[in-house]
Amino acid sequence: MNLTAANTALVVDSTADFPEAPERFRNWRVVPLYVRFGDESYRDYVELTPAAFYERLRAAPETPATSQPTPGDFLAAYEELAGYERIFSVHIAGKLSGTIESARAAAGVLDSPERVRTIDSGSASAAIAMLALAIQRRLESGTTDEEVDTLIERYRAEAGLLFTLETFEYLMRGGRVGRARGWAGELLHIKPILTIADGEVVPVKRVRGNRKAFLEFATAFEADTHDSPSLRVGIAHADAPERAQALVELARRTRPAAEIDLVTTLGPVVGAHAGPGTVGLFWFDDPGS
Amino acid sequence: MSELETVRGLARAALASLEASRQRIDDLNVYPVPDGDTGTNLTLTVRGVVEALDATSAGDRAALAREVTRAALMSARGNSGVILSQIVRGAAEVLAGAGTVDSAALAQAFRGAADAAYAAIRKPVEGTMLTVIRELAEEAVDRTADSPADLLEALVRRGEDAVARTPEQLEILREAGVVDAGAAGLVELVRGIAAAVAGAELPQPAKLSEVPQEAVHLEPSQYRYCTTFVIEGEDLEADALERELERLGDSLMVVGDRSALKVHVHTDDPGAALSLGTGAGIIEGVEIADMRRQTEEREERLLEAVLPRVRCAVVAVAAGEGNRRLFERLGAARVIEGGQSMNPSTADLLEAVEATGQAAEEAVLLPDNPNVVLAAGQAARLAGRPVEVVPTRSLQAGLAALVAFNPERSAEENAAEMNSALEGLATGEVTVASRYASVDGIAAREGEFLGLLDEKAVVAGPSFPEVARAVAEGLLAEPRDLLTLLTGQDAPPLDGLLGELAEGHPGLEIDVQEGGQPHYPLLLSAE
Repeated sequence: MNLTAANTALVVDSTADFPEAPERFRNWRVVPLYVRFGDESYRDYVELTPAAFYERLRAAPETPATSQPTPGDFLAAYEELAGYERIFSVHIAGKLSGTIESARAAAGVLDSPERVRTIDSGSASAAIAMLALAIQRRLESGTTDEEVDTLIERYRAEAGLLFTLETFEYLMRGGRVGRARGWAGELLHIKPILTIADGEVVPVKRVRGNRKAFLEFATAFEADTHDSPSLRVGIAHADAPERAQALVELARRTRPAAEIDLVTTLGPVVGAHAGPGTVGLFWFDDPGS
Repeated sequence: MSELETVRGLARAALASLEASRQRIDDLNVYPVPDGDTGTNLTLTVRGVVEALDATSAGDRAALAREVTRAALMSARGNSGVILSQIVRGAAEVLAGAGTVDSAALAQAFRGAADAAYAAIRKPVEGTMLTVIRELAEEAVDRTADSPADLLEALVRRGEDAVARTPEQLEILREAGVVDAGAAGLVELVRGIAAAVAGAELPQPAKLSEVPQEAVHLEPSQYRYCTTFVIEGEDLEADALERELERLGDSLMVVGDRSALKVHVHTDDPGAALSLGTGAGIIEGVEIADMRRQTEEREERLLEAVLPRVRCAVVAVAAGEGNRRLFERLGAARVIEGGQSMNPSTADLLEAVEATGQAAEEAVLLPDNPNVVLAAGQAARLAGRPVEVVPTRSLQAGLAALVAFNPERSAEENAAEMNSALEGLATGEVTVASRYASVDGIAAREGEFLGLLDEKAVVAGPSFPEVARAVAEGLLAEPRDLLTLLTGQDAPPLDGLLGELAEGHPGLEIDVQEGGQPHYPLLLSAE
């Protein structure tokens, strides 16, 4: 079957941190996760904006909790996309969230479950959005399941991500510190540099001071990429716009031909686990689109 | 009673039973993500079904089954909720098509539930809700001759048994000393339904004693010590004692009679609590548990369950309690006491390296002193596995090297990263001359402070802040990002030194830690 943007839809969950997607693409929907402060539950982005979330996080010492969308939330999105023959449903790593299980459960009760393909991005935040964007680029010129399969495989193997945290507190509290547990060392101005590999938070390097952390991003980004219009870059930050801007400039300076797919704020759900001050750099070389 | 009313009653009973155990189930939650919300998620999921049933006007059983299925899907919270929604779906689909709902139909419903749950999860994991629903289905199929009430009662027993066995099936549960939270929740749900069918009061939830002490204490207390004791005496006044204890902490419990009282309190000052006790009578059976330690130990066990063995460990030599803690917090597996005038032997070093053999495949050794470098090399050669020595000549260098440590890399890769982290590091010390000495052309009288830069004496004098300032300024002669100060045992105050340094070097990040090392009132490094 020839898959196009007219017959194929894309569904991402809100941890893709790409809330404006449905405005940009008619065939996209975003299904929100939930963030909870005590007994008050909000739909990620829809009922609580990142700005309001970080303000609340600063003001109150409450610990927010998060939960995956219900299968019903996905069912509603899939039903709304009834006009499309196929749906690619691209999600946060199954090891970080049960979101994809909700999506699968919803797909399972559709009259034709094979209409929906759930895809585990193996990652989070802009990495989900960038994979979905890569699929969208192929849909716009016409593609096949095989091509999309190859793309996903390559994305999971090759896409780059580095992020650094202000504190490990949030990752620890949410139980998502992964293999970086015990590596925290919150002292001596240490900046941990981390990545997500196969759905797990993995330590990359510890350096002291913000300047060295930034240099480390630059070194790793340069070592793993070459300058090309096919190089796609994403930047995400949790209430740290200056740091995000520094990364934008870093990308423009070192890889002037690259395309910056998106610069985004981490939404309430991802922000609740990463904590304010987090900043991440994402990249993927996509010559096939 | 109409069929709808019956179903409403059963769903409410299931919800009430879950509500009663919600907190306990939250506390058990370590898998798949230890975020402590399984009880809450299951409760919210069932509550959604109850609300949909309250609102429905479904005319026949098939329509009712569809609505229940959809309500469970809509309200399914968390992983456990999603699995539960599939269990509900599987059961509802069978019951929609059944004639009379007898034990045979119930058995088929449990079978349908188990099949739907397994089918929905891509990689089913045993030792979870899945195992329990499967075992319930097996039990039900064997008991179709029983009445529905007897059948359900037998299922509760089988479910409890299956839950108790979950730690045998899932490593992380065994390590954490808990049963699976979702599995426990499923049994509470069945317990509620069984009680309603039998027309019984809702039974007590499973005993709290199933939950290990530390899981009970997981609710974060702002206080550190769980303190319990018994007071024996005459005319003991529980109320008066309670009022005084209240000021010391929380989770307070004072029970007993006028001749004996049992006291339980979470406090940072167990001594004060005991004093209140001795003021009232004779105390005995004193138990003081460090809850923070318990939490740390639990996390440690979880950590070991998640990370069975790392690639590389670090063994470091350091003097001073504060420095030891710094090394440990930065990830050193073993810290050997030692330093100037107390050098550990090759055997000491080797023993510490061997001690990391269980936890890590390889190791890096940080001697942190010029006189330990050789012994470290010997120990590395004698060790039966790859051990690299990064020849750090000071404690400050050891810390800088340790920052670059990554447990997932080999010893060789770590050594390379650590060596490159040491490039551009400058170190300094302030020590006390034990007698008149002239070193590198700098003369210091007995008791005076002697300042060194990269192991060379550069300044001496009677004022600690002045010598310290001269060493610090020497380190900052070229532009630096970071200055680290480790204060020694009985070190004189730094006075205004920090303020002056900050003012004179804008943009410099300064970190002061209590190192506690002997002989050196101050160790410094800049990078």
